[in-house]
Amino acid sequence: MVRIYVIDNGGQWTHREWRTLRDLGVETRILPNTTPFNIIEKERVDGLILSGGAPRMGLQSELGNCGEYLEKSSFPILGICAGHQYIARFFGGEVKPSKIPEFGKIELEILESDDEIFKDIPRRIIAWESHNDEVTKMPSNFIHLAKSENCLIQAMKHRDKAIYGLQFHPEVEHTEYGEKIFENFIEICRQY
Amino acid sequence: MFKPERFIEETVSKLRKEIKGKAIIAFSGGVDSTVAAALTNKAIGDRLTAVHVDTGYMRKNESREVKDLMDEMGLNYRFIDAKEEYYKALEKIEDPEEKRRIIGEKFIRIFERIAEEEKVEYLIQGTIAPDWIESGDQLRDTIKSHHNVGGLPEYMKLKLVEPLRDLYKDEVRKIARILKLPVAERQPFPGPGLAIRVIGAATREKTEIVREACAIVEEEIDRAVKNNEMTYPWQYFAVLLPIRTVGVHGDKRAYGYTIAIRAVESIDAMTCNYSHIPHNVLDRISTRITNELGDRVNRIVYDITNKPPGTVEWE
Repeated sequence: MVRIYVIDNGGQWTHREWRTLRDLGVETRILPNTTPFNIIEKERVDGLILSGGAPRMGLQSELGNCGEYLEKSSFPILGICAGHQYIARFFGGEVKPSKIPEFGKIELEILESDDEIFKDIPRRIIAWESHNDEVTKMPSNFIHLAKSENCLIQAMKHRDKAIYGLQFHPEVEHTEYGEKIFENFIEICRQY
Repeated sequence: MFKPERFIEETVSKLRKEIKGKAIIAFSGGVDSTVAAALTNKAIGDRLTAVHVDTGYMRKNESREVKDLMDEMGLNYRFIDAKEEYYKALEKIEDPEEKRRIIGEKFIRIFERIAEEEKVEYLIQGTIAPDWIESGDQLRDTIKSHHNVGGLPEYMKLKLVEPLRDLYKDEVRKIARILKLPVAERQPFPGPGLAIRVIGAATREKTEIVREACAIVEEEIDRAVKNNEMTYPWQYFAVLLPIRTVGVHGDKRAYGYTIAIRAVESIDAMTCNYSHIPHNVLDRISTRITNELGDRVNRIVYDITNKPPGTVEWE
């Protein structure tokens, strides 16, 4: 059984991420973002999800111990919303308040549909958002995977490591193919 | 995947171990509290007493129907008429969080009183995941304090048991169907009731208006569903706004309140889109509310906000 834990950054949908993983047969738990890395390591997880949350990554720099996880992990990590923005900052990118924030429904355009995270997903899908800030400059060692009309960096991945960031929310019911994106991430963790 | 049969089995045996003496359950008659009551009843039988509080902010005929439901389920129960107490505490309160806090605290004080009379130590609640998620905690922002979580006073004598804490409404409904509970498909209704469907102070007079308007919305949607004009939305109701606008009633100037109609589609209430109710149905709702409520209401608007950015209820 694949074991993927959810790091809780205080999001409204952290528990939805847990539920989606559980529904897909993954062994999962929610851990607060203050959990030290060595505890996560002892649990022998196959992957981590860094949830979204109320912290404004465009205005502040820390997100619990997420930095430690990104530095020390040898397994795949998927950052969602604030988690995604934190990943961008951590690897040298920039996050700023959005000119036009997105709440609710948007159209997502997938630029790299060959990437494993978007396997078997149409190029254009309806996705749901809830963010005040966004990644304004992607770190140089990342690949740009998806965009929307009002937010360029909707998805990205590290060139060499299995580290992904999504600005939109695949865990909510209203995002099309959201569950498929989770299945793809689970597969990435399984094969890693 | 969520397995309702296994959940029922595990929860009943957990409750049996956990609850040593007697317990009361906060019973609104909605899906969550009814499922929690049925599971606890399986676990501890007649050591459980259901407590229903008529706050005065229930829907039309609701408390009577809840009484029938408790009878039908064979529960021991206490029915508390606290209408006057609630109206008095809330008649001047405008802030939505303050309303929720007062309502939550009053519930607990009533439960404590009953618990003392019945010599009970445990309070069962049908709290589900969105209730505590939206109520906030050290990590999470407070979107709204659900009366059964964020509305709880800091000091309370009863031991709280919440068997459905990790579930969402769609999962609770699956359990309700297996247990053959008649409320399995019932639309959600917030604990603070109509008090948060009156924007501003929920006076007795304004509560009567919104109670009537909510009943009309429900009746017309029932009818439209029967006529195959639409399917049931996830949730559908009326909200009374404190805005008065000018109208014309029988060649005379009218200056009445505004009612907003809200209907949304969802699976788990964590994201919602507004319902595309056919215009014919909206038309009937609009005409009936303005006619039946006379000079009290003369304008109806339809809420087209998704969640996010909105929430389902307005407060």
